[in-house]
Amino acid sequence: MKHLKMALMGSAVAIGTTGSATAGDFDGVELKMLAIGDTSVTRLAPIVGEFEELTGAKVQIDMFPYPGLIDKIVIEASADNPSYQLMWVDSPWVGVLGESGALEDLTELVKRDAEEIHLDDIIPIQLQENTWQGRLLAFPASGMIWHQNYRKDLYEHPEEQAAFEAKYGYPLTPAQTWDQYIDIAEFFTRDAGEALAGEVLDKPFYGNAQAYSRVAGAITHDFFPIMRSFGGQYWDAETGLCAMDGEAALAAANVMKELVAFNPPDYLGLMWDIRTGYMERGETAQSSYWSVRTVRLTNPDEAVLPTIGEAGYAASPTGDGNPQPTMTGALSFAINSKATDTEKEAAWEFIKWGTSQDMMRRFAEEGSGVSQFHKSILSDPELQEKYPYYQVLLDTQENAQRRIFHPFYADVEEVFGVELNKFMAGETESAQEALTNACTKINTRLKVFPEDLRLRWINDAQAEIFD
Amino acid sequence: MAYIRKRNKKIFGIFLVPAMLVLFLTTIYPMLYAGYLSFRSYDLAKPFVPRVFVGWSNYREILTSSEFLHTLIVTAKLMAMTLSVQLVLGVGIALLVTQKLPGMGVARTLLLVPMMISPVIVGLVWLFLYFPELGYLNYFLSFLGVGAIPWITSTNWALWAIAIADIWQWTPFVMMGTAAAVQSLSPEPYEAAMIDGNSRWDVFTRVTLPQLKPVLVSLMFLRAIDAFKIYDIIFVLTKGGPGDTTEVLSLFIYRQSFTFWRMGVGAAASFVSLVIIVVLITLFFKSLNRDDYA
Repeated sequence: MKHLKMALMGSAVAIGTTGSATAGDFDGVELKMLAIGDTSVTRLAPIVGEFEELTGAKVQIDMFPYPGLIDKIVIEASADNPSYQLMWVDSPWVGVLGESGALEDLTELVKRDAEEIHLDDIIPIQLQENTWQGRLLAFPASGMIWHQNYRKDLYEHPEEQAAFEAKYGYPLTPAQTWDQYIDIAEFFTRDAGEALAGEVLDKPFYGNAQAYSRVAGAITHDFFPIMRSFGGQYWDAETGLCAMDGEAALAAANVMKELVAFNPPDYLGLMWDIRTGYMERGETAQSSYWSVRTVRLTNPDEAVLPTIGEAGYAASPTGDGNPQPTMTGALSFAINSKATDTEKEAAWEFIKWGTSQDMMRRFAEEGSGVSQFHKSILSDPELQEKYPYYQVLLDTQENAQRRIFHPFYADVEEVFGVELNKFMAGETESAQEALTNACTKINTRLKVFPEDLRLRWINDAQAEIFD
Repeated sequence: MAYIRKRNKKIFGIFLVPAMLVLFLTTIYPMLYAGYLSFRSYDLAKPFVPRVFVGWSNYREILTSSEFLHTLIVTAKLMAMTLSVQLVLGVGIALLVTQKLPGMGVARTLLLVPMMISPVIVGLVWLFLYFPELGYLNYFLSFLGVGAIPWITSTNWALWAIAIADIWQWTPFVMMGTAAAVQSLSPEPYEAAMIDGNSRWDVFTRVTLPQLKPVLVSLMFLRAIDAFKIYDIIFVLTKGGPGDTTEVLSLFIYRQSFTFWRMGVGAAASFVSLVIIVVLITLFFKSLNRDDYA
């Protein structure tokens, strides 16, 4: 009987007629999720029992560190009998997974359940982040922008303000250009024994903390947003080949190199979480990173900063201070295309439940929020008061561009990671040499493919869910 | 009699089947398959990339690549650093623990502990020690007035940091082999040397070392082959960085196979690595033979 019920449900999925699940619809269905151990998942993992009560489907979430997770997903995708029906996906992986047919196309499911998931309330770029050739392959669970976090308490300290203006000739405010960002980094870099905001430091204080590690291409996660803030592009629109060695890329690499002097001495090993750790412990004046970790800066259980000072938030600086599209990203949930029809439907129910407007609001109200992607939550005055960075998230995404989504993203991340890291370490003499080396290696791999295919890979077709 | 011999042969054959099967499935087949892959373009992450026969192209790419040459140089440097220190320390400690002194039995057992730990755990232990801001090593060095050393994040220190961890783990291996050899040395040459009035140093250099030479050569070759394949500790500590300072051959193979997913190139690099190891082993046996006839 149970098998018959499952078979009938499977058929219903195939013809796209089911709506939301009711209690017991998925009794006996077991789903496993291959995921990261970051806020988009850690918030959800302890309460998956609620989903089982609601639908009957049991969900097991296996969490792994970011480095190496894509390897597990690729191996999972190439297996004939998958162990995981649900996958956590970083938006740049959509290209390779999409071109390989590893992810279930969610376009029709989203269209079908548009009202239930409040499709109109989701910031469009967060959905676009998850498309490949116009088809939606993953659903946002955490919407990110790359922006600057700074020590608001220090920036507003009268002595520091006066000293900064006396030295640089303009007031101390969040940087609008990268030159200002470097000035601020230099100004706040202090040794132990020096004074900071009227108090003597017992250990060094750093002007900035950025990711310079080559591990899993961490350095590229900071380099690319800076490159984009100078107006740079990843690919040559005429040939589909690497364009990340142009003027904007050079400027970005040089900004990062100039910032080295104001970073902690272990800068070459700074990965995402180590770099954000400096900000969370209040040991750096500023640090630009993905908003997915910004949520921790307001939570005294996860960061020291709220107890010793205050974090401020602003859009990313740009090359000349004029607006450039914000760099966005999405951490999303996807369905393994090799799962059975019943598993796919149960997995979609789980995605809807775990990313719903209600769930996101619940996380925000409980104080353990994720980086939000619903307009109504980001613009809620009460929540904005609690999470001041919501306004930055909302404003900056009005003019945003998605991250790199090319099928050769892993190659780009690794090759640029190593070459940029070598440049920052002083092993390569110039930024031009490092970027030319990286682009040459990428182009060697791309040139074996016909130009029309390369151009298709860089084409950001509009998500068809909006048709 | 002939019948029994024939029957025994059959029985031996039957007993050999499981072992041969396991050997075939776990060693021979994967090796043959890797050989097959090394002549193909095969990208695991990108099934849309044509999986075709490419002849020697993967081998050509590796052997003409400056990255591959660099990894060979780094591997050789690391081998030189670790083997030389392990040899000196291993022999020194072996001579010490073979003395009839109190507590030497316990010391010998404790000294073997690092060797018994999985290299990944060794990597993690040293990661905690080396961690720039919070590591124990810098903490203790601060009492001596030494500033924080960026052990694993500096191009000047990273390879040494890896070498120190490897030396810590594998010196006991050299010590154990040498100690066993020292204990089996015949006492007569020593008695003769003492009667002749030789100093301790002379006895060591003219009596002990020549007798230990075959054992030390064997130990060094075994360590060389192991050091050539070093992977786990580097993967945990630096993943080849900073820059490409600690990028050894095994890591190059890993990156080709499981970061770029170019399984064909990775397989070809593995075969090149195999050839180098075979050359090392051949040299080893030749050197042993030379010693036998010397």
